[in-house]
Amino acid sequence: MPVPKWLVVARNEYRIHTSRIRKIRPYFPIMVVGLLAVYVMFIAPGFASLFIDDFLALLLSQAAVAMVQIILFLIFIYFMIIPITETLREVQAGQLEIILAAPIKPSDVLLGEFLGEMPFYAIFVAVIAGFFTAALNPLGLDTAQITIIIIIFVVTFLSSFWIGNVIAALLRTKFGQTARGKDIGRALSLVIALPLVALIYAIQYGGLFQILSDPTTSGAVKTLLGLLPSSWGAEVIVGFANNPGNIGATGLETVTRFGGLIAFFVAVLWLGARAANRAYSLEPTTFTASKAKPDGAFYKTVKYLGGSGPFGTLLASIFKDYSRRLENLSKITYIVGLIVMMNIFIVGPQISTAPDKYAAVLPVIINQFMFPVLAVFVAGEVTLRGKESLFTYRKTPDGVERFVKAKLMQGWLMAVPIAAAVTAITTSLSPQITIISLLTNTICGSLMAAANVAFVLGLFLLNPAFSERSGKFMLNTLIVIFVSIGIFASAILVMINIFSGLEPFTSVLYFQLLQTALFWLVGIVFLSLGSRNLSRIE
Amino acid sequence: MKVVIRTDKLSKYYGRGGEIKAVDELDLEVYEGETFGLLGPNGAGKTTTVRLLNCIIKPTGGTATVNDHDILKEETEVKRVTGLLAESPGLYEKLSAYEFLEFMGALYDVPSDVLPERINDLLKLFGLYDRRDYLLEGYSRGMKQKVLIAAALIHDPPILFLDEPTSMLDPRAALMVKDLIKKLADSAGKTIFICSHILPIVEELCDRIGIINQGRLVALGKVDELIAQTKTKSLEEAFIALTGGVEEKELLAWREHRGAGA
Repeated sequence: MPVPKWLVVARNEYRIHTSRIRKIRPYFPIMVVGLLAVYVMFIAPGFASLFIDDFLALLLSQAAVAMVQIILFLIFIYFMIIPITETLREVQAGQLEIILAAPIKPSDVLLGEFLGEMPFYAIFVAVIAGFFTAALNPLGLDTAQITIIIIIFVVTFLSSFWIGNVIAALLRTKFGQTARGKDIGRALSLVIALPLVALIYAIQYGGLFQILSDPTTSGAVKTLLGLLPSSWGAEVIVGFANNPGNIGATGLETVTRFGGLIAFFVAVLWLGARAANRAYSLEPTTFTASKAKPDGAFYKTVKYLGGSGPFGTLLASIFKDYSRRLENLSKITYIVGLIVMMNIFIVGPQISTAPDKYAAVLPVIINQFMFPVLAVFVAGEVTLRGKESLFTYRKTPDGVERFVKAKLMQGWLMAVPIAAAVTAITTSLSPQITIISLLTNTICGSLMAAANVAFVLGLFLLNPAFSERSGKFMLNTLIVIFVSIGIFASAILVMINIFSGLEPFTSVLYFQLLQTALFWLVGIVFLSLGSRNLSRIE
Repeated sequence: MKVVIRTDKLSKYYGRGGEIKAVDELDLEVYEGETFGLLGPNGAGKTTTVRLLNCIIKPTGGTATVNDHDILKEETEVKRVTGLLAESPGLYEKLSAYEFLEFMGALYDVPSDVLPERINDLLKLFGLYDRRDYLLEGYSRGMKQKVLIAAALIHDPPILFLDEPTSMLDPRAALMVKDLIKKLADSAGKTIFICSHILPIVEELCDRIGIINQGRLVALGKVDELIAQTKTKSLEEAFIALTGGVEEKELLAWREHRGAGA
């Protein structure tokens, strides 16, 4: 009897995901199950016992429903977004042709892909559910209640992961067949996480948790959260916590909420299977090829800034290649979005209570750590198009020098205006800020961003990363972050030891100037080393 | 002779009002045991035809039968009797060659007692047996092409569709694939449908050739018949005569502009 096709696909997915650990592949599930058993039996109870009293007090308080609702909601959203972002980041429709040519139903492919990936993510859910059951155990829940709690976690996870997989498959078909579509996919993969980050910030810093847990308040967010399937399970869990060992006390609530959750899971499974035919298709989705418009005022200005001759054309070409990739613009949107959220949720509440004289320091500190990341997004892609594209410049007369110069200018033209605008806006949020502080902060922020671009460009040329998923790309990004931390710490040390006792405005100014100078020093060194290395890359 | 592939006004139109005619009312018959070549310039509709005949996409008009199975009503049966080497398929790069062929064999329901031996035989045939446990991500393009050809053969189908079978292979591997195609047609009685730009290969391997241009079949017959029809001296000239080419006088016209010699 032939093996069911969904099982063939699931086994294939499992093999793909475990290709790095092929030698221990047969023992991997046993090892994972064993480790999880140890965790559930020993580690989770031990961990939960550290703050069991606070946790149980919270669980029996009026904030309990909101807390469990938020936990389950975050699980729901997180496991829905993961397959979508993973698919969008590397949209591959090519394999579809192999699958579609074989005698297999699309619903089997969908189910197989889902089951093949699911165990890896289920580990995280097992860890969370294990902690919850361990923490609730001292209340004296009976076996039926514990079983239902575990099922709630499992069903919430399976529903969200299934929905994520269906959406991911639909998006792969939508975007995977054209270069433009793949670019849109990669762009979406990053910005799709921004609303979730905003929600976490709002819960953590924005007082959303307090609002949700207060029974006297109401609002759209609270109503919406209560309607979501993830919240149905939360009410059951809290009901059990308040009536341990007495499942009958919450009988009607358990049947309606828990039953509703199971019905929701069955419904999304059915709908997903129905959508599978659309999700696996090679029918072209568009015939509109991207077309370049004649250069407008913007690119003419860029060309002019490059001297209007061959270098101007080179600069404009490099700029076009960068800015026509939605992926790059999405990265900038993402980092600017993060800065905005940090300023709204973290800096905003602090700034109103900070002493007048240091009001402008907080946004400056946040920007000082975010601009290097912005520089990675702007200049770190210098080698991502592969060695062949770099060799094109090596082949041309003075190509290397002109390429580095053009990339540097392109990076500055992108990063410096953003840095200037962000610094000016975030600094001006402080009601106590003076015009002089605003100006000095903006100039220093812009100079710092320019130095960051030079540093990142040099570093990524010195240690070229030819893929965003490569270890080198990650290493370079970490180096950038640690260097910026190092510069920040050095500047603090110098301020404490040499420039102590200055009045606030001067000390903040000196601090920024010192950091900017250090960034420039590092930037110039790395840029010259990177340029030299570009001629040697083989 | 039995007809194993028959298309009847097979059409695939795209866009609003169907203004893009990828395949336009294609009428074609391919006989059992025949090696048939479909020639055409880029974008002529070759790959769309192959995808239609393999039930990967659906026609907007007309129909076709493959081994007497209707492509609209008997998709699964059609897929069972065909093997496809697509033009640029995505491989599962994180699988080894053996694992990939095992996966493909399972998809086509090759019995598990037959599959391991068949995979090993195919890997030996293509000179990949020693590298069977290496991940495909480390294979060269030519080696990947060999694995894909092996995958198309894994369920030993009576009809094979080969879209550019030798385009990425070195001369030695190309020769081996050519010999394999001949052997499959002559000794194993397979029907082979080849799409290729490489005219000498088509000329050498195919019993009959169809030339497709802008979705329409513009010529059909043996090589000699095509040459005679177009009153040319070679298949290349016949192809250019049927599909159009660049005039010789235009070849260096770009140099005549001012400053081009800089």
